[in-house]
Amino acid sequence: METMPAPSIVFESAGVSVPDEDAQRRGLPDAARDLLHPLTLTLTERRIAVIGANGSGKSTLLKLINGLARPSTGRVLVDGACTVRDTGRVRRTVGFLFTDPLAQLVMPVVVEDVELSLRARVRDRAERRAHALEVLARLGIERLAERSVYDLSGGERQLAALATVLAAGQRILVADEPTTLLDLRNDALLRRTLDGLEQQVVYATHDLAFAAEADRALVVEDGRIVFDGAASDAVDAYRHLALEGV
Amino acid sequence: MRARADRFGLFVPGSSPIHRAPLWAKYLAVLAIGAAALVWRIAPVAVGLTALTVLLYALAGRHVLSRWAWPLKHLWWMFAILGVHQWWLAGGGLAGLWHAVGIVGSMLAALQAARLLLLSTEQADLLDGLARALAPLRRLGVDADAVTLALHVMLRSIPALAGAAGDVTDAATARGLRRNPLVLAGPVVVSAVGYAHRTADALAARGLMDRDDDAA
Repeated sequence: METMPAPSIVFESAGVSVPDEDAQRRGLPDAARDLLHPLTLTLTERRIAVIGANGSGKSTLLKLINGLARPSTGRVLVDGACTVRDTGRVRRTVGFLFTDPLAQLVMPVVVEDVELSLRARVRDRAERRAHALEVLARLGIERLAERSVYDLSGGERQLAALATVLAAGQRILVADEPTTLLDLRNDALLRRTLDGLEQQVVYATHDLAFAAEADRALVVEDGRIVFDGAASDAVDAYRHLALEGV
Repeated sequence: MRARADRFGLFVPGSSPIHRAPLWAKYLAVLAIGAAALVWRIAPVAVGLTALTVLLYALAGRHVLSRWAWPLKHLWWMFAILGVHQWWLAGGGLAGLWHAVGIVGSMLAALQAARLLLLSTEQADLLDGLARALAPLRRLGVDADAVTLALHVMLRSIPALAGAAGDVTDAATARGLRRNPLVLAGPVVVSAVGYAHRTADALAARGLMDRDDDAA
């Protein structure tokens, strides 16, 4: 399935911190709290899972790749492009799938939303519509083209959101807990679809079976990468970490 | 935020005279009703304009007409807050009531006219038409695509806010609390801010907010 060369995502001492309001109230005006401690790593594998507890820093790590979060220290490079200086270029390389697809879908009808992703590249309306329908067909959801995004099931909505990302033609897909809101059937459908993509996919998940399918997995705990390696080992490490003392 | 409040401005396919009217004529009609509502904010004009929108909805077909009452059903709390506020500003009493009817009725008429445009026109046609109309302003530094997208997101936020209001109302009812619009306003505003953040993130993630110079 790997027809594209794997792009590289490089974290160079990249960390994210925010003002620590509690400490600032105690008279430390410059106090900051690390959401993600500075980390250095290179991601080139085709499927990379990120696992960890709620609030551990998974989403912050993912948002750094697309430029949605800016590093307070260091930098993140995607195929050599800095996510802060070359944001436009980075976003043409990295698509982002949110947990809640309704936050992502802007237009009321599925095909129109896919067309929105194409507006910048394809100015002709008929050509844009044809291209959008082609993307939907590729995902096997052309039947949803004229449906209201509000009338779709959770799984259909997430697939529609995925279509809007794929229409833009990015080589990397970042997905933040894409199956969290889905039932068993839709969960399986989305996972199968993601697995069939030629794009490099970096995804956060609480589903350890889903995480175990990755080529590499990172375990995030309190803003630090505490394990980085084979997915099955990462799942064991996380299970041990999460259930310790329970 | 629930997806229930979706019928605010979703295109209803049809072949009525309203559907077939050219886009510029529809914009002109919205502009005319909006301008009249803005200039004469008095009860008789407001009621007349609102009645005119009912007539236009009927002309667009029964499926469109059946959606006329949507804002009253889902945004009643907003009209209630505005109405009470205007009544109070005008000193209360019957004079205050007429004043409130003039203001709120004008808003309703303008809102319904804008909704009719959305209900009878595909959104992609709307975006293309607006971008074309604004294109000459590029020379003045106006980014037509950005303005078009911003207007679209603004329209999309209205049903989302109504959905948030529905969620908050249900949560209050489930806890045995009364549906007081003033009490519900706080959580709805908080929800709206969260929605705005998520929307901004989604637009940014899709590169829809990146300008050409950045993209070069």
